[in-house]
Amino acid sequence: MAPRQGTVFKLAWPLKTIIQRFAFLALISLSVALLVLGKADIGAIESLRSRTMDILTPVLTTISEPVDAFHKAVARVQKLTSLVEENARLREENARLMKWQAAGRALEQENENYRQLLNALSDPLVLPITARVVGDSGGPFVRTLLLNAGRRDGVRVGQAVVASLGLVGRIAEVGERSARVLLLTDLNSRIPVVLEKSRYKGILVGDNSSAPLLEFLPATAHVAPGDRVVTSGDGGMLPAGRQIGIVASVTDRKIRIQTFTDWSRLEYVTVLRYDLPGMNNPEDNPGDIGESRLGTK
Amino acid sequence: MTPTIAYQFDRILRGSVPFALTFLLVLISVVPTGIGAVVTPSFVGISVFYWSIHRPYLMNAPLVFLIGVLFDFLTGTPPGLTSLILLALHGIALTQRRVFIGKAFVLTWFGYILVAFGIAMLSWLIACLYSLALLPLMPVMTQYALSVLVFPMFAWGFGKLQNNILRHT
Repeated sequence: MAPRQGTVFKLAWPLKTIIQRFAFLALISLSVALLVLGKADIGAIESLRSRTMDILTPVLTTISEPVDAFHKAVARVQKLTSLVEENARLREENARLMKWQAAGRALEQENENYRQLLNALSDPLVLPITARVVGDSGGPFVRTLLLNAGRRDGVRVGQAVVASLGLVGRIAEVGERSARVLLLTDLNSRIPVVLEKSRYKGILVGDNSSAPLLEFLPATAHVAPGDRVVTSGDGGMLPAGRQIGIVASVTDRKIRIQTFTDWSRLEYVTVLRYDLPGMNNPEDNPGDIGESRLGTK
Repeated sequence: MTPTIAYQFDRILRGSVPFALTFLLVLISVVPTGIGAVVTPSFVGISVFYWSIHRPYLMNAPLVFLIGVLFDFLTGTPPGLTSLILLALHGIALTQRRVFIGKAFVLTWFGYILVAFGIAMLSWLIACLYSLALLPLMPVMTQYALSVLVFPMFAWGFGKLQNNILRHT
């Protein structure tokens, strides 16, 4: 059946074309206006964005579940084929780790004793919130993740996000039940870090590649490939000593870091609620405040 | 004969297929797949390009804008960037659709290769201007190459859908 064309439709045809042309140009201008407004950090756009995130996060959670299940099934089958070898390897590793655990306990106790002798302030309590990664920006311009936990779960802007192998990034935007993580590889990410052995401090600068740059080191600093990089905790926003990666290459201008985290395989991440007594406003950090030291002080 | 309500409803439902499909592709390109690629092909761009050529009245400018803004909000891309890029893609496809329609598929693919290259460079330029920095070109080119590679598969699927569901709309 051909499209039905009445007389009204025929008369309206040129008008419709004009409106369409106008709409096209208007929408182009609107996009440009959005870009400019977005650059100026207008609150209305932010809230609209977090509202959209909140609405679509449950949908994304549902879609990502079968994908997740599929990956788990594949991994399971892969593991089945090497069960005996894996078991033997794990036993060996377990025996080795037991020794390390004993050493770790002893050192922790020793450290605690020294702290008490010196009357040093201990690091504030860190409360972990584990969330599922329900979205990642596949685009070429930003490196972000979408999590299915938000303000009602205690997630706040600025908190550190870690995966099992090290720091991933920090929270950039929070909705009621969703949050966006700015990965440390993103162009806008700046993380204060320190070289674990030599204690030289620097800033980890993302450039959208999967290997971020280490900048603002002292001019006299000695850096060699293989040096471990951890968070320094400067600025009081991130907990200190969280591992990030190792120095991968040193050229005369640029130092690149190979991160421990595999950026394409992030499934669950942990948001660290980090309360620095006296520095955080308790009003900004409600929720399970009773568990943190802020409440008992 | 005035069309019955059921007929009208059926028409609307069928007509919304291109938009619904593109919306689904927005969600799918956001969901982490764990395949090992940091950059995913531009499924949404392919869909907008295809439907702007073959069913322009079902993929009109406001819908394209809406899809772009949704994508920006979900991925954290500067708001307006994707909608601007998709609108440009839509505009080019719309003005050149006489070239593509009814021709061999290879021509459409070739057209996409050319147009998508221009669009990729444009998006890179805008993103550079936006962040006032020289962004690495590699991810943009990777996404472009991936999109060109998956284009035939998607165009084939859209073609099937068009023949089965949208023949009369």
